[in-house]
Amino acid sequence: MSALTRTSRVSNTSSKTAKPKPEPFTVASYIGVSLFGLFSLIPLWMIIAGSFTKESVLAQKGYSFFPSEFSLEAYQAIFGGTALLKGYAATLFITIVGTALSLCATAALSWVIARRMPRISRPLTVFAYLPMLFSGGLVPLYLLVTQVLNLQNSWFAVILPHMMAPFLVFVAVSFFRQLPEEILDSAKVDGAGELRIFFQIVLPLSKPILAVIGLFYAVAYWNEWFTALLFISDPEKYPLQLMLQNLIANVTSAAQLPSASAAAAPIYQLRLALTVVTIGPILLAYPFAQRYFVKGLTLGATKG
Amino acid sequence: MRRGVATRDNDLTVDTTQPPAGTVMTGVATIKDPGQPAKTRGPARKAGKGSWALLLLAAPGIIWFFVFSYAPMAGLVVAFKNFSVSKGIFGSPWNGLDNFKYFIASGDAPRIVTNTLVLNVLFLAASLAAGLLLAVMLNELRARFFKRFMQSAIFFPYFVSPIVISIMLQVLLSGAQGNGGAVNDMLGIFNLPQVSWYTEPGPWPWILTIVKVWQMGGYMSVIFLAAITSIPEEVYEAGMLDGASRTKMAVSITLPLLRPTAAILLVLGVGRIFYGDFGTIYAIVGDNGTLFSTTDVIDTYVFRSLRTIGDFGTTAAIGLFQSIVGFILITAAVLVQRKYSKETTIL
Repeated sequence: MSALTRTSRVSNTSSKTAKPKPEPFTVASYIGVSLFGLFSLIPLWMIIAGSFTKESVLAQKGYSFFPSEFSLEAYQAIFGGTALLKGYAATLFITIVGTALSLCATAALSWVIARRMPRISRPLTVFAYLPMLFSGGLVPLYLLVTQVLNLQNSWFAVILPHMMAPFLVFVAVSFFRQLPEEILDSAKVDGAGELRIFFQIVLPLSKPILAVIGLFYAVAYWNEWFTALLFISDPEKYPLQLMLQNLIANVTSAAQLPSASAAAAPIYQLRLALTVVTIGPILLAYPFAQRYFVKGLTLGATKG
Repeated sequence: MRRGVATRDNDLTVDTTQPPAGTVMTGVATIKDPGQPAKTRGPARKAGKGSWALLLLAAPGIIWFFVFSYAPMAGLVVAFKNFSVSKGIFGSPWNGLDNFKYFIASGDAPRIVTNTLVLNVLFLAASLAAGLLLAVMLNELRARFFKRFMQSAIFFPYFVSPIVISIMLQVLLSGAQGNGGAVNDMLGIFNLPQVSWYTEPGPWPWILTIVKVWQMGGYMSVIFLAAITSIPEEVYEAGMLDGASRTKMAVSITLPLLRPTAAILLVLGVGRIFYGDFGTIYAIVGDNGTLFSTTDVIDTYVFRSLRTIGDFGTTAAIGLFQSIVGFILITAAVLVQRKYSKETTIL
């Protein structure tokens, strides 16, 4: 640590001499990064702009960079019907219940692995690691959910197959292992049992990593569509992503989306509006959540 | 091992005889070697209670892994059976390697295996290169706010779902009713011929690669940027004293020092090379048969044959084939990576 502060002092003095002229590479970097930033955001912007553009303009041009003829028709149609509410309810249920279950199971299992208990932790590490190497694949999972567990058309069919991500288990393990041993030992001396240590000491100390892991799970659940496609056939129970997928696959079903009153539904604009509504929560949460994701990624990447 | 345990037992007796003073002792002892064995080696009754509690904590996770990871592995026996839903997994008759023969005879095997490999190589190379380049360039930025904003913008696509990506692509490539789209209008400006993207399989490996760069470039750059910040400042000081330009330092210091990270990501990527990116590809291509010749990968093939044909045996056989080759590749990759670097074990 002391070495670091020393070098930073050195860098201050030397950067004074190096500062005046921006070098070509620095300029190129600003340009390159800006271009990639644009590349990242333009598709998103086109969706948002398109969702506010009149259907007639869209039908003619197919897209819009700027809503030349502003229209809220699609949003009115979406919010007019109950389909969107149902979709949101489904997605919210899957995301909230799923994240809660995932977080509990992951934190508990990770803690037991991180505890380095003889004859428990080691086998558990292998146990949780093997699925990262070998998986049964789609067919056995499909048979398991439909034939054995009979979860068709249940939101739990979307939640359960993704309940634990081995990667996140090991991110949690690496965090838990950094907790100061002394606190745990003193708790032990004070007579706290393992459960009490976990719930009253470890969990409160681990809020940052729980936030990281929870966010990863939440985004995964929010974006999940393929498991829903496999197991949910009742349109009443479609989560948002599946509604959207259905809208791409089958334009005519778009007519069923808004309330029956919207006879000439702005189908294309509707699709874009529904997309905006679907990624809306992620867009809103993103600025606050982004640094947690970065933290989780780097923790998993460097300390696993 | 045994001796170590014995000495720890001794420590423990010291602790228990004089608890208040002993707390300091344990603190010192644990820095040298974590004294967890104390938990099971202590008074027998207490130890048993502790591990029971821990097993209780782990139980939901253990059960989940058994049901959703290990049971499906056992379920792969379907690959060797003439499966029928009414008879169930264990009641269906065995049919040896018939399912595999059927898959090979269908003639689809070379196409989907080649597609999987080609697409994954393209994805891996492109996203690694983009991530590396972005990280090096981001590292050059000094304007704090600009840097943070750009980082957020670049990382954002990672959170966009495959379905939304496919809608974005439609806006760009086909427009409302397959007439135009933004890219075709752009081509029009330069007097280039219009392309009917969704009926033309040729460009799709490249389109998907661009999508992948869009999606994963920021993610990769985060990992590389973390590696860059761990490069000791002294190295750059030395470079600066020697009068190296920033370009020179990026090329001769940053890039070489990122090699281990790149190697690890590469090795792990190669390990996963047999698994297609099912979600994105299926969301984009869907059941558009005209594009299958260049975009159909093992996972999409498996999914489609399961849904449309409902032939569980053959589908499971393909899945098993994929799992085994995938397992070999991943295990090899992990072994190589373990040997290569102790710093990173799981990514």
